[in-house]
Amino acid sequence: MKTYGSEPGAPEPDPVRVGISEFEISDSGQRLKSYGLGSCVAVALYDDQSEVGGLAHVMLPDGDENDDMSERKPGKFADTAIRAMLRQMVESGASYTDVEAKLAGGGDMFEFESFGDGVGQRNVVAAQEELDKLGVPIVAEEVGGQEGRTVEFDTGTGVLSIRTADGDGTIEEL
Amino acid sequence: MKLDVTALGTFYQMAQEGAGLAAGRLTRMTDVDTRVGVTKLNFMRGSDIRSELGDGVRKVGVRVELTGALKGHAVIAFDRESAAHLVQTLQPSAGDGSPPEDADAEFDEMNRSAITEVGQIMHSGFIDGWADVLGSAIDVSTPEYVDGDSAEPFLNGVDTAPGTDDLALLFQSQIEAIDTEIEFKYYLFPDHDSMEDVLDQQGVSSDDGIEYDKLAGFDRLAQRGADEVASNVSTMTGIDTDVEIRRLNFVPLEVLPEEIDDEMLVGVAFEFDGVPSGYLLFLFDEASAREVVNAMLPTAPDDEFDAMGQSAIKELGNIMASGFLDGWANVLDTTIDHSPPEYNHDMGAAVIDPVVIQLGEEQEYAFVFDTSVQAADREFDCNIYAIPNESDLERAINDLPMDRIEEVPTKAEIEEVETDS
Repeated sequence: MKTYGSEPGAPEPDPVRVGISEFEISDSGQRLKSYGLGSCVAVALYDDQSEVGGLAHVMLPDGDENDDMSERKPGKFADTAIRAMLRQMVESGASYTDVEAKLAGGGDMFEFESFGDGVGQRNVVAAQEELDKLGVPIVAEEVGGQEGRTVEFDTGTGVLSIRTADGDGTIEEL
Repeated sequence: MKLDVTALGTFYQMAQEGAGLAAGRLTRMTDVDTRVGVTKLNFMRGSDIRSELGDGVRKVGVRVELTGALKGHAVIAFDRESAAHLVQTLQPSAGDGSPPEDADAEFDEMNRSAITEVGQIMHSGFIDGWADVLGSAIDVSTPEYVDGDSAEPFLNGVDTAPGTDDLALLFQSQIEAIDTEIEFKYYLFPDHDSMEDVLDQQGVSSDDGIEYDKLAGFDRLAQRGADEVASNVSTMTGIDTDVEIRRLNFVPLEVLPEEIDDEMLVGVAFEFDGVPSGYLLFLFDEASAREVVNAMLPTAPDDEFDAMGQSAIKELGNIMASGFLDGWANVLDTTIDHSPPEYNHDMGAAVIDPVVIQLGEEQEYAFVFDTSVQAADREFDCNIYAIPNESDLERAINDLPMDRIEEVPTKAEIEEVETDS
Protein backbone atom coordinates (compact mmCIF):
# COMPACT_ATOMS: atom_id res chain seq x y z
CA MET A 1 0.00 0.00 0.00
CA LYS A 2 2.93 2.34 0.44
CA THR A 3 3.97 4.07 -2.71
CA TYR A 4 6.78 6.48 -2.29
CA GLY A 5 6.03 9.94 -3.55
CA SER A 6 9.69 10.97 -3.47
CA GLU A 7 11.29 12.42 -6.53
CA PRO A 8 13.84 10.24 -8.33
CA GLY A 9 17.24 10.44 -6.72
CA ALA A 10 15.92 11.08 -3.22
CA PRO A 11 17.45 8.75 -0.60
CA GLU A 12 15.40 5.60 -0.06
CA PRO A 13 14.20 4.96 3.48
CA ASP A 14 15.95 2.17 5.36
CA PRO A 15 14.50 -0.26 6.18
CA VAL A 16 12.08 -0.28 3.28
CA ARG A 17 8.62 -1.28 4.40
CA VAL A 18 7.12 -4.17 2.47
CA GLY A 19 3.36 -3.93 2.92
CA ILE A 20 0.86 -6.73 2.67
CA SER A 21 0.56 -7.97 -0.96
CA GLU A 22 3.82 -6.27 -1.92
CA PHE A 23 7.34 -7.43 -2.63
CA GLU A 24 10.62 -5.55 -2.89
CA ILE A 25 14.01 -6.55 -4.17
CA SER A 26 17.37 -4.93 -3.56
CA ASP A 27 20.87 -5.26 -5.01
CA SER A 28 22.34 -2.62 -2.70
CA GLY A 29 22.18 -4.25 0.70
CA GLN A 30 18.98 -2.57 1.86
CA ARG A 31 16.96 -3.90 4.75
CA LEU A 32 13.40 -4.92 3.88
CA LYS A 33 10.80 -5.11 6.66
CA SER A 34 7.27 -6.46 7.09
CA TYR A 35 5.32 -5.77 10.27
CA GLY A 36 2.90 -7.98 12.17
CA LEU A 37 2.52 -11.05 9.96
CA GLY A 38 -0.30 -13.16 11.33
CA SER A 39 -1.43 -15.72 8.77
CA CYS A 40 0.44 -13.90 5.99
CA VAL A 41 3.75 -15.40 4.91
CA ALA A 42 7.08 -13.65 4.36
CA VAL A 43 9.13 -15.21 1.57
CA ALA A 44 12.77 -14.10 1.50
CA LEU A 45 14.89 -15.02 -1.51
CA TYR A 46 18.65 -14.50 -1.64
CA ASP A 47 21.62 -15.12 -3.89
CA ASP A 48 24.67 -14.76 -1.67
CA GLN A 49 27.07 -14.60 -4.64
CA SER A 50 25.55 -11.52 -6.24
CA GLU A 51 24.05 -10.27 -2.94
CA VAL A 52 20.70 -9.69 -4.57
CA GLY A 53 17.71 -10.36 -2.33
CA GLY A 54 13.98 -9.87 -2.12
CA LEU A 55 11.15 -10.05 0.40
CA ALA A 56 7.48 -10.76 -0.37
CA HIS A 57 4.60 -10.31 2.10
CA VAL A 58 2.02 -12.64 0.64
CA MET A 59 -1.61 -12.78 1.63
CA LEU A 60 -3.18 -15.61 -0.36
CA PRO A 61 -2.02 -18.97 -1.72
CA ASP A 62 -3.02 -19.26 -5.33
CA GLY A 63 -2.65 -16.52 -7.94
CA ASP A 64 -2.82 -18.85 -10.94
CA GLU A 65 -6.43 -19.54 -10.04
CA ASN A 66 -7.12 -15.83 -9.98
CA ASP A 67 -5.21 -14.46 -12.95
CA ASP A 68 -7.22 -11.26 -13.30
CA MET A 69 -6.04 -10.13 -9.88
CA SER A 70 -2.60 -11.71 -9.89
CA GLU A 71 -1.68 -9.83 -13.08
CA ARG A 72 -2.42 -6.56 -11.30
CA LYS A 73 -0.99 -7.57 -7.95
CA PRO A 74 1.42 -10.48 -8.29
CA GLY A 75 2.71 -9.80 -4.76
CA LYS A 76 -0.61 -10.79 -3.24
CA PHE A 77 -0.30 -14.52 -3.95
CA ALA A 78 2.41 -16.97 -2.91
CA ASP A 79 2.95 -18.49 -6.34
CA THR A 80 2.92 -15.33 -8.45
CA ALA A 81 4.90 -13.31 -5.90
CA ILE A 82 7.69 -15.86 -5.81
CA ARG A 83 7.92 -16.03 -9.61
CA ALA A 84 7.79 -12.24 -10.09
CA MET A 85 10.38 -11.64 -7.38
CA LEU A 86 12.70 -14.31 -8.76
CA ARG A 87 12.42 -12.83 -12.26
CA GLN A 88 13.26 -9.33 -11.03
CA MET A 89 16.18 -10.64 -8.99
CA VAL A 90 17.64 -12.40 -12.04
CA GLU A 91 17.20 -9.19 -14.03
CA SER A 92 19.18 -7.43 -11.29
CA GLY A 93 22.07 -9.86 -11.51
CA ALA A 94 21.09 -12.84 -9.35
CA SER A 95 21.84 -16.30 -10.66
CA TYR A 96 18.69 -18.48 -10.61
CA THR A 97 20.52 -21.60 -9.49
CA ASP A 98 22.15 -19.84 -6.53
CA VAL A 99 18.93 -18.45 -5.07
CA GLU A 100 17.84 -19.86 -1.71
CA ALA A 101 14.64 -19.23 0.24
CA LYS A 102 13.65 -18.56 3.86
CA LEU A 103 10.05 -18.51 5.08
CA ALA A 104 8.37 -16.97 8.11
CA GLY A 105 4.80 -16.41 9.24
CA GLY A 106 1.70 -18.38 8.35
CA GLY A 107 0.40 -18.58 11.91
CA ASP A 108 -3.16 -19.55 12.69
CA MET A 109 -4.57 -17.58 15.58
CA PHE A 110 -8.29 -18.21 15.15
CA GLU A 111 -10.12 -21.51 15.05
CA PHE A 112 -13.21 -20.48 13.15
CA GLU A 113 -15.28 -23.07 11.36
CA SER A 114 -15.00 -21.15 8.10
CA PHE A 115 -11.19 -21.23 8.27
CA GLY A 116 -10.96 -24.98 7.59
CA ASP A 117 -7.36 -26.23 7.94
CA GLY A 118 -6.21 -22.73 8.71
CA VAL A 119 -5.55 -19.80 6.42
CA GLY A 120 -1.92 -19.49 7.48
CA GLN A 121 -1.25 -23.15 6.86
CA ARG A 122 -2.64 -22.82 3.31
CA ASN A 123 -0.26 -19.95 2.58
CA VAL A 124 2.77 -21.82 3.91
CA VAL A 125 1.99 -24.93 1.85
CA ALA A 126 1.48 -22.82 -1.30
CA ALA A 127 4.85 -21.09 -0.85
CA GLN A 128 6.63 -24.39 -0.17
CA GLU A 129 5.07 -26.03 -3.24
CA GLU A 130 5.91 -23.15 -5.57
CA LEU A 131 9.53 -23.03 -4.39
CA ASP A 132 9.76 -26.79 -4.82
CA LYS A 133 8.36 -26.51 -8.34
CA LEU A 134 10.93 -23.86 -9.21
CA GLY A 135 13.78 -25.82 -7.64
CA VAL A 136 14.59 -23.12 -5.08
CA PRO A 137 15.74 -24.78 -1.82
CA ILE A 138 14.20 -23.63 1.46
CA VAL A 139 17.20 -23.31 3.77
CA ALA A 140 15.32 -22.15 6.87
CA GLU A 141 11.77 -21.57 8.00
CA GLU A 142 9.89 -20.39 11.07
CA VAL A 143 6.23 -20.95 10.24
CA GLY A 144 2.89 -21.89 11.77
CA GLY A 145 2.03 -21.62 15.45
CA GLN A 146 -0.34 -19.09 16.92
CA GLU A 147 1.80 -16.00 17.07
CA GLY A 148 2.40 -12.92 14.99
CA ARG A 149 5.85 -12.08 13.61
CA THR A 150 7.64 -8.98 12.41
CA VAL A 151 10.45 -9.79 9.99
CA GLU A 152 13.42 -7.86 8.68
CA PHE A 153 15.51 -9.14 5.79
CA ASP A 154 19.03 -7.80 5.40
CA THR A 155 19.88 -8.08 1.72
CA GLY A 156 23.52 -7.32 2.51
CA THR A 157 23.92 -10.56 4.47
CA GLY A 158 20.85 -12.70 3.69
CA VAL A 159 19.89 -12.84 7.38
CA LEU A 160 16.15 -12.90 8.12
CA SER A 161 15.44 -11.57 11.64
CA ILE A 162 12.17 -12.50 13.28
CA ARG A 163 10.58 -10.83 16.29
CA THR A 164 7.55 -12.37 17.99
CA ALA A 165 5.20 -10.76 20.44
CA ASP A 166 5.44 -13.29 23.26
CA GLY A 167 9.23 -13.38 23.34
CA ASP A 168 11.15 -11.16 25.75
CA GLY A 169 12.21 -8.95 22.88
CA THR A 170 14.74 -11.48 21.59
CA ILE A 171 15.16 -11.69 17.86
CA GLU A 172 15.58 -14.98 16.13
CA GLU A 173 17.85 -15.00 13.11
CA LEU A 174 17.44 -17.38 10.20
CA MET B 1 -28.49 5.84 -7.39
CA LYS B 2 -26.85 2.45 -7.11
CA LEU B 3 -23.32 1.65 -6.06
CA ASP B 4 -21.57 -1.46 -7.13
CA VAL B 5 -18.21 -2.86 -6.21
CA THR B 6 -16.68 -2.22 -9.63
CA ALA B 7 -17.69 1.43 -9.63
CA LEU B 8 -16.56 1.88 -6.04
CA GLY B 9 -13.31 0.22 -7.06
CA THR B 10 -12.92 2.98 -9.64
CA PHE B 11 -13.53 5.63 -6.98
CA TYR B 12 -10.96 3.90 -4.84
CA GLN B 13 -8.41 4.02 -7.65
CA MET B 14 -9.18 7.71 -8.07
CA ALA B 15 -8.48 8.36 -4.41
CA GLN B 16 -5.24 6.41 -4.54
CA GLU B 17 -4.03 7.91 -7.80
CA GLY B 18 -4.84 11.41 -6.56
CA ALA B 19 -2.98 10.87 -3.30
CA GLY B 20 0.09 9.63 -5.19
CA LEU B 21 0.22 12.71 -7.40
CA ALA B 22 -0.47 15.05 -4.49
CA ALA B 23 2.36 13.47 -2.47
CA GLY B 24 4.77 13.83 -5.37
CA ARG B 25 3.93 17.49 -5.81
CA LEU B 26 4.19 18.21 -2.10
CA THR B 27 7.67 16.71 -2.16
CA ARG B 28 8.70 18.77 -5.17
CA MET B 29 7.48 21.94 -3.54
CA THR B 30 8.78 21.48 -0.01
CA ASP B 31 11.75 19.12 -0.44
CA VAL B 32 10.19 17.01 2.29
CA ASP B 33 10.12 13.29 1.46
CA THR B 34 6.58 12.03 1.49
CA ARG B 35 4.84 8.77 1.03
CA VAL B 36 1.23 7.81 0.62
CA GLY B 37 -0.15 5.91 3.55
CA VAL B 38 -3.53 4.32 3.75
CA THR B 39 -6.20 5.47 1.31
CA LYS B 40 -9.86 4.78 2.01
CA LEU B 41 -13.25 5.57 0.68
CA ASN B 42 -15.45 6.62 3.59
CA PHE B 43 -19.13 6.99 3.79
CA MET B 44 -19.63 9.47 6.58
CA ARG B 45 -22.72 11.17 7.93
CA GLY B 46 -22.86 14.94 7.89
CA SER B 47 -23.02 15.04 11.69
CA ASP B 48 -19.84 12.95 11.98
CA ILE B 49 -17.98 15.12 9.47
CA ARG B 50 -18.95 18.21 11.43
CA SER B 51 -17.76 16.75 14.70
CA GLU B 52 -14.49 15.63 13.12
CA LEU B 53 -13.78 19.10 11.75
CA GLY B 54 -14.84 20.65 15.02
CA ASP B 55 -12.84 18.32 17.29
CA GLY B 56 -11.34 21.19 19.25
CA VAL B 57 -8.05 21.24 17.35
CA ARG B 58 -7.76 24.41 15.36
CA LYS B 59 -7.46 23.84 11.64
CA VAL B 60 -6.58 25.78 8.55
CA GLY B 61 -7.61 24.68 5.12
CA VAL B 62 -7.96 25.40 1.47
CA ARG B 63 -11.13 24.69 -0.43
CA VAL B 64 -12.01 24.60 -4.10
CA GLU B 65 -15.08 24.05 -6.22
CA LEU B 66 -15.02 21.43 -8.96
CA THR B 67 -16.82 21.46 -12.28
CA GLY B 68 -16.58 19.29 -15.36
CA ALA B 69 -16.50 15.48 -15.15
CA LEU B 70 -16.98 15.62 -11.38
CA LYS B 71 -18.88 18.45 -9.74
CA GLY B 72 -18.69 19.31 -6.09
CA HIS B 73 -16.35 20.76 -3.49
CA ALA B 74 -13.04 19.61 -2.08
CA VAL B 75 -11.49 20.76 1.18
CA ILE B 76 -8.01 20.09 2.49
CA ALA B 77 -7.68 20.71 6.23
CA PHE B 78 -4.38 20.80 8.14
CA ASP B 79 -4.07 20.87 11.90
CA ARG B 80 -2.79 24.32 12.77
CA GLU B 81 0.49 22.90 13.98
CA SER B 82 1.06 21.07 10.70
CA ALA B 83 0.27 24.22 8.79
CA ALA B 84 2.84 26.15 10.83
CA HIS B 85 5.32 23.41 10.07
CA LEU B 86 4.59 23.65 6.36
CA VAL B 87 5.10 27.40 6.41
CA GLN B 88 8.38 26.86 8.24
CA THR B 89 9.48 24.35 5.61
CA LEU B 90 8.63 26.69 2.77
CA GLN B 91 10.06 29.85 4.32
CA PRO B 92 12.74 28.67 6.72
CA SER B 93 14.43 32.06 7.21
CA ALA B 94 13.19 34.05 10.18
CA GLY B 95 11.49 37.35 9.68
CA ASP B 96 8.78 38.03 7.16
CA GLY B 97 6.80 34.98 6.26
CA SER B 98 7.88 32.75 9.14
CA PRO B 99 4.98 31.40 11.19
CA PRO B 100 3.97 33.21 14.39
CA GLU B 101 5.70 31.98 17.55
CA ASP B 102 2.50 31.88 19.53
CA ALA B 103 0.54 28.75 18.66
CA ASP B 104 -2.77 30.61 18.89
CA ALA B 105 -1.76 33.65 16.88
CA GLU B 106 -3.24 34.32 13.46
CA PHE B 107 -1.24 33.49 10.36
CA ASP B 108 -0.20 36.64 8.53
CA GLU B 109 -0.83 37.36 4.88
CA MET B 110 2.45 35.74 3.75
CA ASN B 111 1.73 32.58 5.78
CA ARG B 112 -1.75 32.30 4.39
CA SER B 113 -0.62 32.67 0.84
CA ALA B 114 2.04 29.98 1.38
CA ILE B 115 -0.59 27.60 2.82
CA THR B 116 -2.98 28.41 0.00
CA GLU B 117 -0.28 27.64 -2.53
CA VAL B 118 0.50 24.26 -0.95
CA GLY B 119 -3.24 23.52 -0.74
CA GLN B 120 -3.71 24.39 -4.38
CA ILE B 121 -0.80 22.25 -5.53
CA MET B 122 -2.14 19.30 -3.52
CA HIS B 123 -5.69 19.80 -4.77
CA SER B 124 -4.44 19.81 -8.34
CA GLY B 125 -2.50 16.61 -7.63
CA PHE B 126 -5.62 14.86 -6.31
CA ILE B 127 -7.85 16.18 -9.05
CA ASP B 128 -5.44 15.35 -11.88
CA GLY B 129 -5.27 11.83 -10.50
CA TRP B 130 -9.07 11.51 -10.54
CA ALA B 131 -9.29 12.96 -14.04
CA ASP B 132 -6.69 10.40 -15.21
CA VAL B 133 -8.78 7.54 -13.87
CA LEU B 134 -12.03 8.94 -15.30
CA GLY B 135 -10.41 9.85 -18.59
CA SER B 136 -12.02 13.31 -18.67
CA ALA B 137 -11.26 16.79 -17.42
CA ILE B 138 -12.24 18.26 -14.06
CA ASP B 139 -12.00 22.04 -13.68
CA VAL B 140 -11.01 23.70 -10.42
CA SER B 141 -11.98 27.12 -9.06
CA THR B 142 -9.59 29.61 -7.43
CA PRO B 143 -8.55 28.23 -4.02
CA GLU B 144 -10.00 29.79 -0.91
CA TYR B 145 -8.17 29.93 2.44
CA VAL B 146 -10.27 28.92 5.46
CA ASP B 147 -9.42 28.87 9.13
CA GLY B 148 -11.29 27.94 12.30
CA ASP B 149 -11.91 25.57 15.20
CA SER B 150 -15.38 24.44 14.13
CA ALA B 151 -16.76 22.90 10.96
CA GLU B 152 -18.57 26.07 9.95
CA PRO B 153 -15.85 27.99 8.11
CA PHE B 154 -14.89 24.85 6.20
CA LEU B 155 -18.40 23.94 5.11
CA ASN B 156 -20.02 27.36 4.85
CA GLY B 157 -21.42 27.80 1.36
CA VAL B 158 -20.53 24.22 0.37
CA ASP B 159 -23.90 23.31 -1.09
CA THR B 160 -22.85 19.70 -1.62
CA ALA B 161 -21.97 19.16 2.06
CA PRO B 162 -24.21 16.43 3.50
CA GLY B 163 -27.04 17.08 5.92
CA THR B 164 -26.84 15.62 9.44
CA ASP B 165 -28.17 12.19 8.51
CA ASP B 166 -27.02 12.11 4.90
CA LEU B 167 -24.13 9.98 3.88
CA ALA B 168 -21.28 11.62 1.97
CA LEU B 169 -18.65 9.77 0.02
CA LEU B 170 -15.27 10.97 1.18
CA PHE B 171 -11.78 10.22 0.00
CA GLN B 172 -9.51 9.75 2.94
CA SER B 173 -5.80 9.73 2.24
CA GLN B 174 -2.76 9.90 4.40
CA ILE B 175 0.34 11.49 3.02
CA GLU B 176 3.11 11.01 5.50
CA ALA B 177 5.97 13.41 5.45
CA ILE B 178 8.98 11.31 6.43
CA ASP B 179 10.64 12.62 9.63
CA THR B 180 8.20 15.54 9.74
CA GLU B 181 4.83 15.97 11.31
CA ILE B 182 2.44 17.15 8.64
CA GLU B 183 -1.08 15.87 8.99
CA PHE B 184 -4.15 16.73 7.03
CA LYS B 185 -7.56 15.45 6.03
CA TYR B 186 -8.96 15.61 2.56
CA TYR B 187 -12.69 15.84 1.97
CA LEU B 188 -14.45 15.54 -1.35
CA PHE B 189 -18.13 16.39 -1.38
CA PRO B 190 -19.36 15.32 -4.80
CA ASP B 191 -22.60 16.61 -6.22
CA HIS B 192 -25.18 13.79 -6.04
CA ASP B 193 -26.21 13.96 -9.72
CA SER B 194 -22.65 14.27 -10.90
CA MET B 195 -21.66 11.20 -8.92
CA GLU B 196 -24.58 9.32 -10.40
CA ASP B 197 -23.33 10.24 -13.89
CA VAL B 198 -19.87 8.98 -13.03
CA LEU B 199 -21.36 5.72 -11.73
CA ASP B 200 -23.42 5.37 -14.91
CA GLN B 201 -20.31 5.78 -17.01
CA GLN B 202 -18.69 3.00 -15.01
CA GLY B 203 -21.43 0.74 -16.28
CA VAL B 204 -23.48 0.15 -13.15
CA SER B 205 -26.75 -1.28 -14.39
CA SER B 206 -29.91 -0.68 -12.47
CA ASP B 207 -30.09 -4.36 -11.51
CA ASP B 208 -26.75 -4.63 -9.80
CA GLY B 209 -25.33 -2.94 -6.81
CA ILE B 210 -26.52 -1.42 -3.59
CA GLU B 211 -29.17 1.26 -3.43
CA TYR B 212 -27.47 4.36 -2.00
CA ASP B 213 -30.44 5.36 0.17
CA LYS B 214 -30.57 1.88 1.63
CA LEU B 215 -26.89 2.01 2.39
CA ALA B 216 -27.58 5.22 4.29
CA GLY B 217 -30.41 3.43 6.12
CA PHE B 218 -28.22 0.49 7.00
CA ASP B 219 -25.59 2.88 8.24
CA ARG B 220 -28.08 4.56 10.59
CA LEU B 221 -28.72 1.12 11.94
CA ALA B 222 -25.05 0.54 12.50
CA GLN B 223 -25.00 3.79 14.46
CA ARG B 224 -27.64 2.45 16.80
CA GLY B 225 -25.80 -0.84 17.10
CA ALA B 226 -22.67 1.07 18.05
CA ASP B 227 -24.52 3.16 20.64
CA GLU B 228 -25.86 -0.07 22.06
CA VAL B 229 -22.37 -1.50 22.32
CA ALA B 230 -21.12 1.56 24.19
CA SER B 231 -24.04 1.35 26.58
CA ASN B 232 -23.44 -2.38 27.16
CA VAL B 233 -19.81 -1.67 27.98
CA SER B 234 -20.88 0.95 30.50
CA THR B 235 -23.35 -1.49 32.11
CA MET B 236 -20.86 -4.34 32.31
CA THR B 237 -17.78 -2.46 33.44
CA GLY B 238 -19.03 0.76 35.01
CA ILE B 239 -16.74 2.60 32.59
CA ASP B 240 -18.70 5.41 31.02
CA THR B 241 -18.12 5.07 27.28
CA ASP B 242 -19.28 6.73 24.09
CA VAL B 243 -19.06 6.13 20.37
CA GLU B 244 -16.31 8.52 19.30
CA ILE B 245 -15.85 7.89 15.61
CA ARG B 246 -17.88 5.82 13.27
CA ARG B 247 -17.32 5.30 9.60
CA LEU B 248 -18.39 3.02 6.86
CA ASN B 249 -15.29 2.39 4.77
CA PHE B 250 -14.90 0.82 1.40
CA VAL B 251 -11.34 -0.45 1.10
CA PRO B 252 -9.22 -3.18 -0.44
CA LEU B 253 -8.95 -5.81 2.28
CA GLU B 254 -5.19 -5.45 2.68
CA VAL B 255 -5.60 -1.86 3.88
CA LEU B 256 -6.99 -3.14 7.21
CA PRO B 257 -3.80 -4.67 8.63
CA GLU B 258 -1.75 -1.88 7.02
CA GLU B 259 -3.47 0.84 8.97
CA ILE B 260 -3.08 -0.75 12.38
CA ASP B 261 -0.04 0.43 14.32
CA ASP B 262 2.74 -1.98 15.11
CA GLU B 263 1.76 -2.04 18.78
CA MET B 264 0.47 -4.90 20.88
CA LEU B 265 -3.29 -5.32 20.87
CA VAL B 266 -5.80 -7.52 22.60
CA GLY B 267 -8.40 -8.73 20.15
CA VAL B 268 -11.65 -10.63 20.54
CA ALA B 269 -12.91 -12.01 17.23
CA PHE B 270 -16.16 -13.59 16.13
CA GLU B 271 -17.45 -15.05 12.94
CA PHE B 272 -21.12 -14.41 12.33
CA ASP B 273 -23.48 -16.33 10.17
CA GLY B 274 -26.75 -15.35 8.50
CA VAL B 275 -27.53 -12.65 5.96
CA PRO B 276 -25.09 -11.01 6.21
CA SER B 277 -22.30 -13.31 7.36
CA GLY B 278 -18.80 -12.08 8.13
CA TYR B 279 -16.40 -11.27 10.95
CA LEU B 280 -16.49 -8.97 13.90
CA LEU B 281 -13.36 -7.84 15.73
CA PHE B 282 -12.95 -5.86 18.95
CA LEU B 283 -9.45 -4.49 19.38
CA PHE B 284 -8.20 -3.00 22.65
CA ASP B 285 -4.82 -1.48 23.31
CA GLU B 286 -3.10 -3.15 26.27
CA ALA B 287 -3.86 -0.36 28.74
CA SER B 288 -7.56 -0.47 27.85
CA ALA B 289 -7.68 -4.26 28.11
CA ARG B 290 -6.14 -4.03 31.61
CA GLU B 291 -8.73 -1.44 32.54
CA VAL B 292 -11.53 -3.76 31.38
CA VAL B 293 -10.19 -6.72 33.33
CA ASN B 294 -9.79 -4.69 36.50
CA ALA B 295 -13.27 -3.25 36.13
CA MET B 296 -14.88 -6.66 35.62
CA LEU B 297 -13.09 -8.82 38.16
CA PRO B 298 -13.88 -8.44 41.87
CA THR B 299 -10.19 -8.37 42.82
CA ALA B 300 -7.32 -7.10 40.72
CA PRO B 301 -5.31 -10.03 39.28
CA ASP B 302 -1.49 -10.17 39.31
CA ASP B 303 -1.50 -10.55 35.56
CA GLU B 304 -4.44 -9.06 33.69
CA PHE B 305 -3.86 -11.35 30.74
CA ASP B 306 -4.03 -14.65 32.66
CA ALA B 307 -6.89 -17.12 32.17
CA MET B 308 -9.29 -15.12 34.39
CA GLY B 309 -8.50 -11.90 32.60
CA GLN B 310 -8.87 -13.46 29.17
CA SER B 311 -12.20 -14.91 30.16
CA ALA B 312 -13.42 -11.50 31.36
CA ILE B 313 -12.41 -9.82 28.11
CA LYS B 314 -14.06 -12.57 26.09
CA GLU B 315 -17.23 -12.18 28.10
CA LEU B 316 -17.33 -8.46 27.45
CA GLY B 317 -16.62 -9.17 23.76
CA ASN B 318 -19.58 -11.52 23.68
CA ILE B 319 -21.94 -8.91 25.07
CA MET B 320 -20.58 -6.29 22.68
CA ALA B 321 -20.98 -8.65 19.72
CA SER B 322 -24.60 -9.35 20.62
CA GLY B 323 -25.29 -5.64 20.98
CA PHE B 324 -23.82 -4.99 17.59
CA LEU B 325 -25.42 -7.83 15.65
CA ASP B 326 -28.85 -7.84 17.29
CA GLY B 327 -29.53 -4.39 15.90
CA TRP B 328 -28.75 -5.61 12.41
CA ALA B 329 -30.79 -8.79 12.80
CA ASN B 330 -33.85 -7.04 14.22
CA VAL B 331 -34.16 -4.55 11.42
CA LEU B 332 -33.36 -7.10 8.74
CA ASP B 333 -35.91 -9.37 10.42
CA THR B 334 -33.52 -12.27 10.36
CA THR B 335 -31.22 -14.22 12.63
CA ILE B 336 -27.50 -13.57 12.78
CA ASP B 337 -25.65 -16.10 14.90
CA HIS B 338 -22.15 -15.56 16.13
CA SER B 339 -19.41 -17.98 17.13
CA PRO B 340 -17.87 -18.17 20.59
CA PRO B 341 -15.20 -15.49 21.07
CA GLU B 342 -11.62 -16.11 19.97
CA TYR B 343 -9.04 -14.29 22.09
CA ASN B 344 -5.75 -13.04 20.75
CA HIS B 345 -3.02 -10.89 22.26
CA ASP B 346 -0.45 -10.02 19.64
CA MET B 347 1.04 -7.42 17.29
CA GLY B 348 -1.72 -5.27 15.81
CA ALA B 349 -1.68 -6.37 12.20
CA ALA B 350 -1.34 -10.05 13.11
CA VAL B 351 -4.65 -9.91 15.00
CA ILE B 352 -6.61 -8.90 11.92
CA ASP B 353 -4.81 -10.46 8.95
CA PRO B 354 -6.29 -13.98 9.28
CA VAL B 355 -9.79 -12.55 8.75
CA VAL B 356 -8.62 -10.44 5.84
CA ILE B 357 -7.05 -13.50 4.24
CA GLN B 358 -10.15 -15.63 4.65
CA LEU B 359 -12.39 -12.97 3.08
CA GLY B 360 -9.74 -12.28 0.44
CA GLU B 361 -10.32 -15.71 -1.07
CA GLU B 362 -13.64 -14.43 -2.43
CA GLN B 363 -13.46 -10.65 -2.63
CA GLU B 364 -10.96 -7.87 -3.26
CA TYR B 365 -12.73 -5.02 -1.50
CA ALA B 366 -14.81 -4.89 1.66
CA PHE B 367 -17.32 -2.62 3.31
CA VAL B 368 -15.99 -2.17 6.82
CA PHE B 369 -18.08 -0.75 9.64
CA ASP B 370 -15.42 0.93 11.70
CA THR B 371 -16.32 2.19 15.17
CA SER B 372 -14.27 3.58 18.00
CA VAL B 373 -15.66 3.43 21.54
CA GLN B 374 -13.87 5.55 24.12
CA ALA B 375 -14.24 6.70 27.70
CA ALA B 376 -13.95 10.35 28.61
CA ASP B 377 -12.28 9.96 31.98
CA ARG B 378 -10.39 6.68 31.79
CA GLU B 379 -7.99 4.76 29.63
CA PHE B 380 -10.46 2.92 27.46
CA ASP B 381 -10.19 2.71 23.72
CA CYS B 382 -11.78 -0.03 21.67
CA ASN B 383 -11.84 -0.25 17.90
CA ILE B 384 -14.56 -2.35 16.36
CA TYR B 385 -14.39 -3.70 12.85
CA ALA B 386 -17.45 -5.41 11.38
CA ILE B 387 -16.54 -6.86 8.00
CA PRO B 388 -19.45 -8.55 6.28
CA ASN B 389 -19.08 -10.90 3.39
CA GLU B 390 -19.67 -8.56 0.47
CA SER B 391 -22.25 -10.50 -1.53
CA ASP B 392 -24.29 -11.21 1.62
CA LEU B 393 -24.18 -7.58 2.59
CA GLU B 394 -25.47 -6.50 -0.79
CA ARG B 395 -28.35 -8.94 -0.45
CA ALA B 396 -29.11 -7.85 3.11
CA ILE B 397 -29.08 -4.15 2.28
CA ASN B 398 -31.25 -4.49 -0.78
CA ASP B 399 -33.79 -6.44 1.27
CA LEU B 400 -33.75 -3.76 3.93
CA PRO B 401 -37.27 -2.56 4.72
CA MET B 402 -36.67 1.20 4.96
CA ASP B 403 -39.84 1.82 6.95
CA ARG B 404 -38.68 -0.48 9.73
CA ILE B 405 -35.37 1.21 10.45
CA GLU B 406 -36.65 3.82 12.86
CA GLU B 407 -39.15 1.67 14.70
CA VAL B 408 -37.34 -1.58 15.41
CA PRO B 409 -35.66 -1.92 18.79
CA THR B 410 -31.96 -2.71 18.67
CA LYS B 411 -31.63 -3.54 22.34
CA ALA B 412 -29.54 -6.58 23.01
CA GLU B 413 -30.43 -8.88 25.82
CA ILE B 414 -27.66 -9.10 28.32
CA GLU B 415 -27.38 -12.55 29.76
CA GLU B 416 -24.72 -14.77 31.18
CA VAL B 417 -22.70 -16.27 28.39
CA GLU B 418 -20.41 -19.24 28.79
CA THR B 419 -17.08 -18.15 27.38
CA ASP B 420 -14.81 -20.89 28.62
CA SER B 421 -14.92 -23.67 26.09
